[in-house]
Amino acid sequence: MGWFRLHVCCGFLLLSATLGRAGSPTEAKPLDEVAALADRIDRLVEAGYDANDVTPAPLADDAEFVRRVYLDLAGRIPHVSEVHRFLDENAPNKRRALVEDLLKSPYYVNHFTNVWRALLLPQNNDQQVRFFAAQMENWLRPQILENKPYDRMVRDLLTTSLGNSGMAMRPRNPANNGAAIFYQVNESKPENVAAATSRLFLGIKLECAQCHDHPFASWSRNQFWQFAAFYSGIRPQQPQAGVFSQSLDEPRKREIKIPNTEKTVQARFLDGTNPKWEEGASSRAVLADWLTSPKNPYFAKAIANRLWGHFFGIGIIEPVDDLGENNPPSHPELLDALGQAMADHRFDLRFLIRAITASRTYQRGSRSTDPSQDDPRLFARMSLKGLTPEQIFDSLAVATGYRGTPVAPGNFNRFNGVRADFLTKFSNGSDKRTEYQTSILQALSLMNGKFIADATSVERSETLAALVDAPFLNDRQRLDALYLAALGRPMRDREVSRILPYLDRGGPSGDKSRALADVFWALLNSSEFIFNH
Amino acid sequence: MKLPRLSRRDWLRLTAAGVTGYSMSGWLETLAADVAQHPTRKRSCILLWMTGGPSQMDTFDLKPGHANGGPFKEIRTSSPDLRISEHLPQLAKFGDRMAVVRSMSTKEGEHGRATFLLRTGYQPTGPIQYPSLGSLVAKELGSDDAPLPNFVSIAPARFFNSAAYGPGFLGPQYAPLIVGDNNSFFQNQDGTYEQALKVQDIDLPNGVNRAHAEARIDLLQEMEGDFLADHPGVAPLSHRTAYDRAVKLMRTDANKAFNLHEESPKLRDRYGRNLFGQGCLLARRLVERGVPFIEVSLAGLRENNMFFNWDSHQQNFQAVRKLSEILDPAWGTLMEDLSVRGLLDSTLIVWMGEFGRTPKINGGQGRDHFPNAWSTVLAGGGIKGGQAHGKTSADGTKVETRPTTVSDFLATICLALGIDPLKQNNSNVGRPIRIADKAAQPIKEILL
Repeated sequence: MGWFRLHVCCGFLLLSATLGRAGSPTEAKPLDEVAALADRIDRLVEAGYDANDVTPAPLADDAEFVRRVYLDLAGRIPHVSEVHRFLDENAPNKRRALVEDLLKSPYYVNHFTNVWRALLLPQNNDQQVRFFAAQMENWLRPQILENKPYDRMVRDLLTTSLGNSGMAMRPRNPANNGAAIFYQVNESKPENVAAATSRLFLGIKLECAQCHDHPFASWSRNQFWQFAAFYSGIRPQQPQAGVFSQSLDEPRKREIKIPNTEKTVQARFLDGTNPKWEEGASSRAVLADWLTSPKNPYFAKAIANRLWGHFFGIGIIEPVDDLGENNPPSHPELLDALGQAMADHRFDLRFLIRAITASRTYQRGSRSTDPSQDDPRLFARMSLKGLTPEQIFDSLAVATGYRGTPVAPGNFNRFNGVRADFLTKFSNGSDKRTEYQTSILQALSLMNGKFIADATSVERSETLAALVDAPFLNDRQRLDALYLAALGRPMRDREVSRILPYLDRGGPSGDKSRALADVFWALLNSSEFIFNH
Repeated sequence: MKLPRLSRRDWLRLTAAGVTGYSMSGWLETLAADVAQHPTRKRSCILLWMTGGPSQMDTFDLKPGHANGGPFKEIRTSSPDLRISEHLPQLAKFGDRMAVVRSMSTKEGEHGRATFLLRTGYQPTGPIQYPSLGSLVAKELGSDDAPLPNFVSIAPARFFNSAAYGPGFLGPQYAPLIVGDNNSFFQNQDGTYEQALKVQDIDLPNGVNRAHAEARIDLLQEMEGDFLADHPGVAPLSHRTAYDRAVKLMRTDANKAFNLHEESPKLRDRYGRNLFGQGCLLARRLVERGVPFIEVSLAGLRENNMFFNWDSHQQNFQAVRKLSEILDPAWGTLMEDLSVRGLLDSTLIVWMGEFGRTPKINGGQGRDHFPNAWSTVLAGGGIKGGQAHGKTSADGTKVETRPTTVSDFLATICLALGIDPLKQNNSNVGRPIRIADKAAQPIKEILL
């Protein structure tokens, strides 16, 4: 009997076992501030309901909430035992307590490391992304683990020392500096690093202004190159090696020539102010001071909007990295409030996560109960969010009890094997989680592929074997167990009347255990499994 | 002002004669609009993608007698105006249906970036996820209800840049159905292609029969009903659509397209019993079934523990000869087969790689990366064959006439297929992107 079998037993069978678990009593003061911000969020969003004559969806029940918050924070669905533990808990603050627990878990660190890695590495060439992913993650992981203030994390990235990052070919070399990868993947070109900096950390897309004055927004080509001038000292050590070359820096260079012109411009901030240069100051450090300052409204709003987008699938400004004046926020006051809260709380990302997840707005059900809820920008019900490839695989692993060979995080070779193949097949070009699209090969893989076939085979699946063998379960309880494993909820009554007869007659083969496998197969292929809702 | 309704041919004639006062871009806009209004012009496209960058000097732009020329001889084709390599004899019979573009001049000389540029029409910059040509064509010419996917990629070797093979911001519904995914440069010449050319995961898993599979799908559909009704929106609908298409592919005869055993052994022999040859045969079967875009990749081959590939930095001539011996029977037979079936006029065939190779032969009898002056080929539907467009210098190092950019070339492909190259799609960065850059000047001389 494998560990999963035990796990299953604990989860499915000890239904009454309530584990006495302390809440998080130590953080009384921050919790109040959390509640205050959550309340502010709700009041501002609810003002939008009134203005648009919206009847919001009721709050999600505990089962819906626990699955959602695990996917958003831990990057996977909860184990059955974790669902039970939460459902059986009676504490009035249990939703917030769960968030606290998850924020302390290694799953949160892994998931947010994946999320930030995907942001910092361009997706245009995933061969290269694969190559650099491990290094980038090695740099990110401790930042997430320590909950390093976001402004400091960005400052470290923007000011990291270059030119001594060791051999890029050896990702596990401790001398390696994962932050330097940010410059490498941007080809050690000032204009590329500048565009990425602006888009990622200010929510300003300057790319178009690189070649011409922006047709819609107010950024001129001059402004773009003035901004890029802060990175003018960046160059590749071996230009012909592309992203595989180390980046070098001349820290005190502050001017750049605009290509195909005779014009040279000096470094200047995007708000039009001129830096005050101190003797010997590094250009990147001066830029980082301005960029990460609590007084920079773009910086705080950009991260607030990005986090909001993470939890709702759609930003207050959407796309989340386009805060230009031609793209107004759905709730301007809310965005201001969240940006201010970030600045006031020293860019503590977990604080904002606590407040968002504590809000009624986040905790609304995803089921449509009124057509007025259908505009996702009103946040009147939770939008469906497509899962990242990692979320799908890790959730399938939880549901089916898959035990892959564990691979150390950061190991380059983790890109081989079952998980890697799966991630490749499920990588998705679009980062719009609310408009997630499935491909035919993905569907075929989930229907007929070996991974699901094994997981839903009576002979090979431990989850199924455990259920079939348990003599003290009746059919309804067996089905409930499968629903819990896959969807994190028991069956609904209206489902029982449809699914139970299928099991009763043993499906087309007249074999009950195979019919049970069929139900599991259908659950794992369902929209309810493949989306976060 | 309302523009007069002239046919495309009229416009070509008028602009060629300098009668109209329209600028090139005005000409393109008018022509594009005109083309888009003719549903009968809709064609299929087969892209023969030569991973690694094939040598133009040893295939379609020979320089016999020059030191850069190398040992290969030129042969006559069925057109008096076109000569090609002696190692492409079967293809030479269709010279009158082929236009060689000898003046490709592009900006990327590194595999990954060049692959992206040639396959999407744009340089990889920042966060914009440009779609592959196949996805763009699938969106324009494909049908949502067709039993087969609208973009099939056969034996792609995507390691240089896999994003260049994807649907980018168009989304997974325009992703290619990939068969024979090839992660190495080299295809084996053994029988593994039989298995490789089947759709992955299309067969039911062991122990699940047809009736059983249908019962499971019914069960799934029943479960989906409630959830979809409760959660209206784009994403769950896309999930549902992908499943519908996958199930359709599993259930219907459509999947038979991938059964090459329906072809006569003799015909299969003629295409060549290898992944590329059989891939071309599969492409013809898919064209017959109305698939608008199919690509077949040829990267390299392995024979008696020797490796040959288009990225011929060493021993170029040996490699190009070996690869020509794979390419020629496959492509030549494809031309003939399409022609016999009356499909050649409605099927555009494109031959290209990510760049060409240096005219100067290096110390290892090889040729290196060269984007400055190289060749691509358009053949079949929509193409005025029997000609070479543009000219390189005697030593092959420079384009002398009609330099052709990637945008020019892709816009030409679009027009040959009846697609408006100026059509805009919404990108992931919220700004509309044209199929081909607005500056594109399609090669009107080779369009029918």
